[in-house]
Amino acid sequence: MRCRAYILLLLLTAAGSFANGQSAEPGLVKISFVNTVTGKPILLDSTVFTNPFSETYTITRFKYYISNLALTFPEGVFKELDSYHLVDQSNAQSLSFGFTALAGTYDGLVFLLGVDSLRNVSGAQSGALDPLNDMFWTWNTGYIMAKMEGRSPQSKLVNRKVEYHIGGFAGVNSVLKNIKLPFPVPVNVSAGKTTEIIIETDFAAWWQQPNELKISEHPVCSSPGELAKKIADNYSKMFRVRQIINP
Amino acid sequence: MKPGVIISILAIVLGGLLLIGAGRKEETAGPPDYIEWRIPAGWPKPANDIFAKNKLSEQGFQLGRKLFYDGRLSKDGNFPCASCHQQFGAFSSYDHDLSHGYNNTFTTRNAPPLFNLAWMPRLHWDGGVNHIEVQPLSPITAPNEMGENLDSVLLKLRRDTSYLRMFRAAFGTPEINSQRMLKALAQFTGSIVSANSKYDKVMRGEATFTYSEQNGYTFFKANCASCHPEPLFTDYSFRNIGLPVNEFLNDYGRMRITGDKKDSLKFKVPSLRNVALTFPYMHDGRFQSLNAVLDHYNGGIIVTQPTLDTLLRKRIPIAGRQKADLIYFLHTLSDTSMTKNPRFSGELKNFIH
Repeated sequence: MRCRAYILLLLLTAAGSFANGQSAEPGLVKISFVNTVTGKPILLDSTVFTNPFSETYTITRFKYYISNLALTFPEGVFKELDSYHLVDQSNAQSLSFGFTALAGTYDGLVFLLGVDSLRNVSGAQSGALDPLNDMFWTWNTGYIMAKMEGRSPQSKLVNRKVEYHIGGFAGVNSVLKNIKLPFPVPVNVSAGKTTEIIIETDFAAWWQQPNELKISEHPVCSSPGELAKKIADNYSKMFRVRQIINP
Repeated sequence: MKPGVIISILAIVLGGLLLIGAGRKEETAGPPDYIEWRIPAGWPKPANDIFAKNKLSEQGFQLGRKLFYDGRLSKDGNFPCASCHQQFGAFSSYDHDLSHGYNNTFTTRNAPPLFNLAWMPRLHWDGGVNHIEVQPLSPITAPNEMGENLDSVLLKLRRDTSYLRMFRAAFGTPEINSQRMLKALAQFTGSIVSANSKYDKVMRGEATFTYSEQNGYTFFKANCASCHPEPLFTDYSFRNIGLPVNEFLNDYGRMRITGDKKDSLKFKVPSLRNVALTFPYMHDGRFQSLNAVLDHYNGGIIVTQPTLDTLLRKRIPIAGRQKADLIYFLHTLSDTSMTKNPRFSGELKNFIH
């Protein structure tokens, strides 16, 4: 992987098209995720949250895939290679990751929320995509792109479960979402230094806009289809850039 | 410095180097012996090249074979892949409508035979699985099949030094992970090809059909081949053949995967190769004999089902003699060179089937 990154760097150097000052010397970019509900930190199993319909709930699991990440600048993009990350609220190490990027000034971040369709049809995968991560449907091949499990007194399910396993990569059932996050201030990547981009998620986005979804009516979603697409339309708006820490 | 001291130092340094070398040797292996994957003469190219990114090797195949027959892939050790996929039944569950699973359970569908999987675009009766490598995840983790979870399987394999050796021989290092296990299994199951039945020998000019078999073949080409085309004897499409719904199973087939009402009651067209060995028949094993299957096509099809295949609206009338001839022909599709090939066999233990 490092070898391929190097080749890309060389190619980009050869092209010499860094109009806004990108140079071939790489710097480090650290992306961190802070998962919240309307800004309140998520303590799994304990914090009680209230949704816009006055339904209360706790979150026991919260995981999602970030893939095909790239930094943007006016003339193009810098793509992270082999870009697959599982952000898992129960695993502190998964909440941030780093990669080397061309030094220069960037104005935004793009990524896919989920796992691209190619990796859903290409057999056994490893790393973040290992089926051991419990984000893979065995009966209807495909990755669960985002998962929330919890409990709510308003749930009619056994043990008051709330369970949203959102997946579907093909055709009309696709829940894949391209996320674009413009940076509030320019991001500078400098040779040999680390730039940190802190992204905040707001789980409350799952409940509304554009689709109002109450726990009492939809306590579970565990297959591709209309409900999954509605939830994905909502959660595609859960990200914002909270802070840029330039070197 | 005395020569003796120098020699001692050299010996220590050389010894150290040798030790490092030995350590490395244990970690990595040279490339495995790759096997050329051959398509039988006259056959179409597989839809997906399953060995393009999982290069077939003798060591990978042998590891896959060991895994296929190893009960440790199941929770209690009694349910290896081979418990439902028996070689003498063309890797189906011989004489079982539904198969037995962990803790006195039944599966909900008839275990399909395993051969020519390289040509199969989607696996399972409902086509829910899109790649041969990820298929084993389904039976391994299903509570009514092997009842295990992946972490536990990998832990068991890592405790076995023979597996460490075999993973190293197949993949270069002794690391045992899910991807390697699944790729090895795919090398074994994907290698099982059935292309040497009497029918194949007749087509190659090495044998001749009897009078009845020839009559059956003629009937087959006129009435069955649009869904079961040669040489694979299936087009791998999903069709509703007008079976009444089993009220216990309530299985609507492909609709569960696509969520589309148009797919209600559709199941994958199975290959007719080795069909004489794979009874009982249909997705739920409801018919015990080929005779019963043909009776269904002749008179049993429920023609009022909205998603019934258009080719079956008038059923398939079969006169008594034609039925006998067709069954003779279907028996020419049995391939004992595959079902008795020691290369695909395992050390059969006393597991439940």
